[in-house]
Amino acid sequence: MKMFVCIKYVPDTSEAEVKVNPDGVSVDSSRFSFDINDADNYAVEESVLMKEASEGDVTVLSIGPKQSDVMIRMAMAKGCDRAVRIEDERIAGYDPLMVAKVLAGAIKGQEFDLVLTGCMASDDWQMSTGVALAEELGVNHASMVKKVEVLGGNKVKAYRELEGGLMEVVEVELPAVLTIQTGINEPRYAPIRGIREAQKKELKVASLDDLGLDASAVSAEASMVVLERLYIPDVVSSAEFIEGEPDEKAEKLASILVKGGLV
Amino acid sequence: MSIESQTFTERYDLLGCIQCGRCTGGCPVTVRADLNVRRFVYDAYNEEKLEELARLAEIWDCTACHTCAVRCPKGLKPLEVLLGLRTMIVESGKVEPTVRDALQSVLLEGNPWEKARAARSDWMEGLDVKIAEPGVPVENLFFVCCTIAYDPRVQTIAKNLVRILNKAGIDYAFLDDSESCCGSEVYTLGEEGLFEMLVEDNTAFLNEFSATRLITLSPHCFTTYRKQYPDLKMPVLHYTQLLEELLREGKLTWKGDLQKKIVFHDPCYLGKQGDVYDEPRQLLKSIPGVELLEFDRRRERSLCCEGGGGKMWVESTSKKERLAETRIKDAKELNADIVAVACPFCVLTLEDAMKGLGYEEEMRVAEIMELLGEFVEA
Repeated sequence: MKMFVCIKYVPDTSEAEVKVNPDGVSVDSSRFSFDINDADNYAVEESVLMKEASEGDVTVLSIGPKQSDVMIRMAMAKGCDRAVRIEDERIAGYDPLMVAKVLAGAIKGQEFDLVLTGCMASDDWQMSTGVALAEELGVNHASMVKKVEVLGGNKVKAYRELEGGLMEVVEVELPAVLTIQTGINEPRYAPIRGIREAQKKELKVASLDDLGLDASAVSAEASMVVLERLYIPDVVSSAEFIEGEPDEKAEKLASILVKGGLV
Repeated sequence: MSIESQTFTERYDLLGCIQCGRCTGGCPVTVRADLNVRRFVYDAYNEEKLEELARLAEIWDCTACHTCAVRCPKGLKPLEVLLGLRTMIVESGKVEPTVRDALQSVLLEGNPWEKARAARSDWMEGLDVKIAEPGVPVENLFFVCCTIAYDPRVQTIAKNLVRILNKAGIDYAFLDDSESCCGSEVYTLGEEGLFEMLVEDNTAFLNEFSATRLITLSPHCFTTYRKQYPDLKMPVLHYTQLLEELLREGKLTWKGDLQKKIVFHDPCYLGKQGDVYDEPRQLLKSIPGVELLEFDRRRERSLCCEGGGGKMWVESTSKKERLAETRIKDAKELNADIVAVACPFCVLTLEDAMKGLGYEEEMRVAEIMELLGEFVEA
């Protein structure tokens, strides 16, 4: 099984205060900690598990700054074989279609069975890159995958997590892109000795020119997305505490819901 | 699993063990977990058994309190066998997610709490704190500790200390957000590679400051810097030692009094491992009105609170009474108003136990620095 796993270096915004820069279209990231996107971490683990289960080879792909090398080395410490980090300021990174074009450009021309990536990124939550990547590569895809079984005859069975606890099971002919949902496995720890050992593995840094890609096709000019303004939603406080005996409370609640057109 | 069995036997001097059982006999964890450290020392000699031993859940029950090492007549450290087995698991990558995240956070952000490095000195906001600069001589260089720096419950320790130091007018400086974890819990969780890296990086970092001595706020940092940083150029003290010195010099003055019965709980990393027993007691006794009580199990026999040994990130499988609960019940029997401690982990575990037992109305768990902050004229 020859695999690519696409990963993204994202800020942890769960606790840090998010501040929009004066330009209005970027966020002050100086106080954030950065790490691998959560769902991508599961994709890395799944690729390594598949490699361990049968012969395999995994290449890590990422678009990001030099600081993200540590995240890439961790993936290689876990078992990925090599990596390509694409760094080029011209890429319109806020547009998943442009990102998909760049990733596809780095993969095209190479043999592969599977491309795995997280089903969504925890910075912009667009959930589009993986699917767009399949389109760019002209291969099948399954999204929100919570379980994968390798079948004979060049196929995998993918279990897709749907709403309401439903699981859709599809057979996908390879090559294919699978976008991985969190919880598919339990990502392992990358020990320091493993990370040091992974220094021996190849981590190639490439620009758009190195990949032979036309920058004008993946830059802001080519993107149909225009980022106009980022803003912090207004904090509104309108909590109402319903008082009284349980039956009174229920009645009041029901009346509020009906009045609000919610039931 | 990279540790060779040959190395294992030599490394932990397994042949030096006479199987007397004093280690297990004194191990506080045995009352609630299925851990027999003597047995591990015996079994680990069999190289074929190492992987099987490493997979046993009870290797994660050890709190690294060092009672076994204190009691061993041969001067061995039985607990280190357990830590060596943990290393085998850590290096295979198959650790609990909580342990994984804590260790990874130390590598990426310099603390095990998954907090951003940039926020490490946020606790200083609004305080007049002197910040250390490399090469500028300073007598007392302070090392805050990850838990005290980030956990609002115990940040008071650092805040009150700054107020007292400013009042006492001594030469001091704190590190800014470039301070990184000492590695105490990294070591006991078995991540040897990361611990070696921290020792190397922190030694180089701290030696850049021309400090006469390093003052630690947590006993875990205190013991780790003292015992596991051979190339650190400065002696290491716990803050209670420095404050006791200030007390003797008459540089601490009290406002009001505290008419309370206080029992002091000896933290394992301060007492058993650091031999600091008297200074915290002197500080407490000096507060006007305080009646200092003593636990039966005190000083080198003090009962571990189960906060060390990486236990902040590993839940025990045992449902039996937590040692912290036992400790709080002991304090209740003594009619203590306050259980005083000198360690952030002890604050967190004992306070949880106190709340769990429903003693909040009648009892309080407090770090010594919290009490001094309230009563020192600052």
